[in-house]
Amino acid sequence: MEKPKPRKTHYHSTVNRRSFMKMLGFGAGAVGLGASTVHAAGFKDLDEMKSSPLANRNLPWWVREVDEPTVKIDWDNMQVFPGPFNTLFNPASWPDKGDYFKIHARNIQSTTKNVQENVPGLSLKDRALADAECWGWGALSGIEPSWTGPDVKAYPKWEHPTMFYTPEQYGVPKYEGTPEENTQMLRVAGRILGAADIGVVKLDDRTKKLLWGHIRFENVEKGYEDKKTHTKVLPNKDLWAVCSVIPQSNWMNKFTERMAWASSNTAAYSRANIYSHRLNVFLHGLGYQHYGGGTEHVGRLVGFGVMAGLAEYGRAGIMVSPQYGTGIRTTLVTITDLPLAVTKPIDAGITDFCRVCKKCAEMCPSGAISMADEPFWGGEKPWQAKGIKGWYLDSQKCYAHMLGGEPDCSRCQTVCPFTKFDEAVMHDLIRISIAKAPVLNGLIRKMDDVFGYGKEPDLSKTPWDMDPMDIPLFGLDQSRS
Amino acid sequence: MRLVSWNWFWFVLIGFVMGGGFVYLRGKLKEMDLKFVWYEWGLTIVGFLLFMFMGQTFVASFAEFQPRAAWMSLVFIGLPVVLIGAVVYRSVQKRIV
Repeated sequence: MEKPKPRKTHYHSTVNRRSFMKMLGFGAGAVGLGASTVHAAGFKDLDEMKSSPLANRNLPWWVREVDEPTVKIDWDNMQVFPGPFNTLFNPASWPDKGDYFKIHARNIQSTTKNVQENVPGLSLKDRALADAECWGWGALSGIEPSWTGPDVKAYPKWEHPTMFYTPEQYGVPKYEGTPEENTQMLRVAGRILGAADIGVVKLDDRTKKLLWGHIRFENVEKGYEDKKTHTKVLPNKDLWAVCSVIPQSNWMNKFTERMAWASSNTAAYSRANIYSHRLNVFLHGLGYQHYGGGTEHVGRLVGFGVMAGLAEYGRAGIMVSPQYGTGIRTTLVTITDLPLAVTKPIDAGITDFCRVCKKCAEMCPSGAISMADEPFWGGEKPWQAKGIKGWYLDSQKCYAHMLGGEPDCSRCQTVCPFTKFDEAVMHDLIRISIAKAPVLNGLIRKMDDVFGYGKEPDLSKTPWDMDPMDIPLFGLDQSRS
Repeated sequence: MRLVSWNWFWFVLIGFVMGGGFVYLRGKLKEMDLKFVWYEWGLTIVGFLLFMFMGQTFVASFAEFQPRAAWMSLVFIGLPVVLIGAVVYRSVQKRIV
């Protein structure tokens, strides 16, 4: 029998806090329970315990690995189950099909009654969120949703027969709340569905200029897409842009440039599109229109994000948020006619800091980021648009580097002094200083270098050598969610 | 998977160290028949807070995969702590002599 490999938990040269905690926990247990602990776990000594496959899985010390599960199994007489069509989700599996349809009808009746009576927790908005949370994936109508959102007609053939119901089908009016209440509701739903934060921009004469040029307004009740002319149409009525922050993984960013799987930005796009389906289903369930939602559908995402107060405009031409730094992949913009309260732009001293910092520009491998001291009126290139006094990114250089090889590049995001994990209290003090005492900005930039931020970690031991349980789920460390 | 959070352990430990340290300091001062003047107490408290801040930054920086930041925090935050400690020590020692 092959000897089990020793544990590999040392990702760093020094034990990290989590490992240290775990060691302390192990130590306390060993001291507290003595030899009986070792005996109870079925090991002769600590060495045997540490070298067992159990240790490789990093189960708690008090969980035993056993040869057979704790439920009795008769493998000799084990039947092979035909498949999901034989489960009770299929009416044909019921001894009396009528029973299935009675339950089905009872479900529709009780769900509809609860919605009509506005029962707390089972009201229209709760049902809409339940559909979005549970069946958002079912709305997938392609890689990206269509302009008018996924086609989510009621699908009464599964165990939740009111899936994708509209208020009309429940026999109730569409959801009504004040703009403030609606925005609060969306922010709650956004956190549940996958947005780190949500801001709102009202579409007016100014902000309509942030929409793509091929989007136009018509006097129609509902928008549509003309695929022949590649034109997308919005109805001429009050509309709001729901701007959802889709965060990137700081943890994954550390390896983005050197490990193909660690493309924190594309991973975030993947989550963004799942989120967009869910948000569409939620708005659909409330009885409102929804447009766009795909990551490239609506317009200038940085522009919408800045106008919604989710971030400031940074030197690299991307958003820099006080909470997430540049670790935002996108502002996912969804247009809706649900009345919302707008959120205002913010000033946390970030653009001022960008004037003196220049770290992203210095460390950009393609030289695409401007080193100019002051922002400027640019936008002459065909892939740019005029109207912003900012630092314009030379996207041609950026794309030539980023898309011309494998793996991806996110260096401007990784090195930005605002892109930090949230463990050290010091980062908050630095952010306060940048907002309130800009005279220290130059010093802060220097100290960021001295403290070693933005440097690539040692890859002699990669995440492949880590304890899997030390890897954040979806790569999303706590500070990014 | 960590089923039991050990964060409480640190708070208990810090509480014991703070409480124990304070009781020890009071006892020692009494034993030596010494009294801190107000600015010595002030400096001691500032030094202690800085020391706690240094410890938090040190531990947190490792959790953030930033070992260099951890060691630098010892230098840049720890140095003032040492200086404050030296000032308080010298100030008290003068009265002993």
